[in-house]
Amino acid sequence: MSSEALFRRKRWKSIVFALLLILIASIVVSLNLGFAQLPFTTVVKALAKKLPFLGGWLSVPGVEETIITEIRLPRVLAGVVVGMALSLAGSIFQGIFRNPMADPYVIGTSAGAAFGASLAIVLGLGAGLLGVASISLMAFLGATLTVSLVYSISRVGARTPVTMLLLSGIAVSTFLSALVMVLGVLAGEKLHALYFWLLGGFSYVEWVDVLVAAPLILAASIVSYFYSRDLNVMQLGEEQALQLGVEVERSKLVLTALGSLATSAAVAISGLIGFVGLIIPHLVRLLVGPDHRVLIPASMLTGGSLLALCDGLARTIGRITFLGAPTELPVGVVTAIMGAPFFLYLLRRRRGEYGL
Amino acid sequence: MINGEGRVTVRVLGVECSYGSTKVLDGVTLSVNEGEVLGILGPNGAGKTTLLRCISGVLKPRVGSILVEGLEVGSVKPKLLAKTLAVVPQEFEVSFNFTAFDVVLMGRNPHLSRLQSEGAKDYEAARKAMELTGTLHLANRPINQLSGGEKRKVVIAKALAQEPKVLLLDEPTSHLDVSAQLEVMDLIKSLCRKGLTVIATFHDMNLAARYCNVLALMHHKKIVAAGRPEEVLTAENVKEVFGVEALVKKHPATGCLYVVPISTVKEVARLNRSVHLICGGGSGARMMRMLLEAGFNVRAGVLNVLDEDYEVAQALGVRVVSEAPFSPITDSSYEECLKLVKSSSAVVVTCFPVGSGNLKNLEVALEALRSGVPTVLIEPLKPEARDFTGGRAAEILKELKALKALSASNEEEALNLLNSILKPA
Repeated sequence: MSSEALFRRKRWKSIVFALLLILIASIVVSLNLGFAQLPFTTVVKALAKKLPFLGGWLSVPGVEETIITEIRLPRVLAGVVVGMALSLAGSIFQGIFRNPMADPYVIGTSAGAAFGASLAIVLGLGAGLLGVASISLMAFLGATLTVSLVYSISRVGARTPVTMLLLSGIAVSTFLSALVMVLGVLAGEKLHALYFWLLGGFSYVEWVDVLVAAPLILAASIVSYFYSRDLNVMQLGEEQALQLGVEVERSKLVLTALGSLATSAAVAISGLIGFVGLIIPHLVRLLVGPDHRVLIPASMLTGGSLLALCDGLARTIGRITFLGAPTELPVGVVTAIMGAPFFLYLLRRRRGEYGL
Repeated sequence: MINGEGRVTVRVLGVECSYGSTKVLDGVTLSVNEGEVLGILGPNGAGKTTLLRCISGVLKPRVGSILVEGLEVGSVKPKLLAKTLAVVPQEFEVSFNFTAFDVVLMGRNPHLSRLQSEGAKDYEAARKAMELTGTLHLANRPINQLSGGEKRKVVIAKALAQEPKVLLLDEPTSHLDVSAQLEVMDLIKSLCRKGLTVIATFHDMNLAARYCNVLALMHHKKIVAAGRPEEVLTAENVKEVFGVEALVKKHPATGCLYVVPISTVKEVARLNRSVHLICGGGSGARMMRMLLEAGFNVRAGVLNVLDEDYEVAQALGVRVVSEAPFSPITDSSYEECLKLVKSSSAVVVTCFPVGSGNLKNLEVALEALRSGVPTVLIEPLKPEARDFTGGRAAEILKELKALKALSASNEEEALNLLNSILKPA
């Protein structure tokens, strides 16, 4: 048995390594998609030029290099980072709630972020901080404050029952969504901007967004890895987890904070992108099993690849449909239109694993 | 607990506990020695599970203290406690598709630091626990696809992987078939021989009596009796706590105490119609119960002490004219019984074998009928078939018939006859 278990560990490593390769490939492919059609070799060369030592040997035309490294690369990386963050949060929240229907937005991050961003748009808040747009900052603030509020409302004595958390999350979300609608009514000509933010996407992403959000998300993922065994044991129920030495309340608080931090950072960059955080952990669980120590990294890599590719697809579909007009489909639409049928297919095929 | 000479491993001292404002434990004190199996019995809502939850540190007592191997539950870190104490809950639901081995390996959690992952030692401990519980062949099966018995054993394996000194089990045999129940209990017993201390709750008194060295009986959030099974499981205790009449005996095959609940104690408004039952050898037990349920005032006799019908009558609180064990009926018992019979509204004579020792019982019936007390004979057999007196008994039975005693072929018929002749005034 022990050798078999060790074999399983080795399999985890090779799966994660394979997913890492897929992620790199997705980034390259996604860089190749877009309004200006650039040859594949140019993309590879422009990337390689950034590498130390190698850079001096390659030459890429200036305009094309700018398109790739200044316009596409931050956008593609934003997709990767957001996909990773949402998948991380989805895995964590499905684990905490022991519920495969939980997603990163379940305890109010989405409504909080939407409210913060709407406020910034309607009030016409100007420049942000450290080069990050005020809309992003307000979205981040809205999300984190909302989760803190939901968490403190849900406290019963020394405990925070997950059912309370879930229900308070729904109530607070509903309340804030109503406020967003009020702001929408008051928005006037800014309604368009507000609507576009709510749809989610990477159209306005800049390098600074990626550079600020990525370390946050990276830190959240590293810390959550150390809590992933706790998350496993919590799948036996909170009472059993405590009887197995897990300080359940503390772990729950830390994990909720990490998941919310990652989601807030993601939402600040991209607005609300649905379905990634729900479906990726499901998909990856079928591939690697339910152990969070492999589920979390594997989900993050898969989510990153998927969102980078979906964004590339969104840009391409826009180009085809509107014949030259630089309009594009919001990436959230692409993830939902592709993800929902796929999810239903999985649900029907593998329903045994959901106990149905 | 009280009588053992072993070292005390679990000590519960004056524990009071509440859910909100509802008191759920009210001053519980007990101690368990190393290697003992303590069975906690009691009706639903008596506080059995609550007590286990307190000992495992999930519930914090309002008053009192709990020590497990010298660790003060509640102030010690959960991880430290989990190395000493493992819990097998009654319901065990695992979210997502973990295998049985994954779950058993989770039992190693208390032995691992946050940054550590399982090593060869942990795999070995998990493998050994599965071997011990006979679940190794289930290792790669998803836990949620196992049968109730298999799952229970895997959860016990998980608890053993913790390498605990004390094991708490909440209803370890509930929802299991008989063979799985015995397997689980044999397993627990064998673990105790290796020095593990076990505290378990039970609904099945017989299983508890058979497998536990000590029992504690809980009622209304308190422990009302504790000690060896024969001290705790008495007919009086069972009646007081569960509200049922019960026969408590030693089983000749297992040598263990066994409890047979007979009926719930309910005060039926007794009719002032009394029926005297002449029976013996177990022939009257069923009729006795039926008469009581129908609301009759029941008497019986003459019965030898130790006769099966005598035991039943005792358990049901029926007034009996008795005779010493295995002795023929004496004249004085005969007279006493006859007096009682003549004061009854009717007599029922069951189909008991008649020998020289109890022939007087038939004479009682004959006397009663002559003095006008209506008599019902239950006779599924020919009179000769139960006559061991060389014809005398058959003669009396024929005479009874000649004197218009009523005849029924079974207890139901007899009850119908009694109801028709004894119409309430």
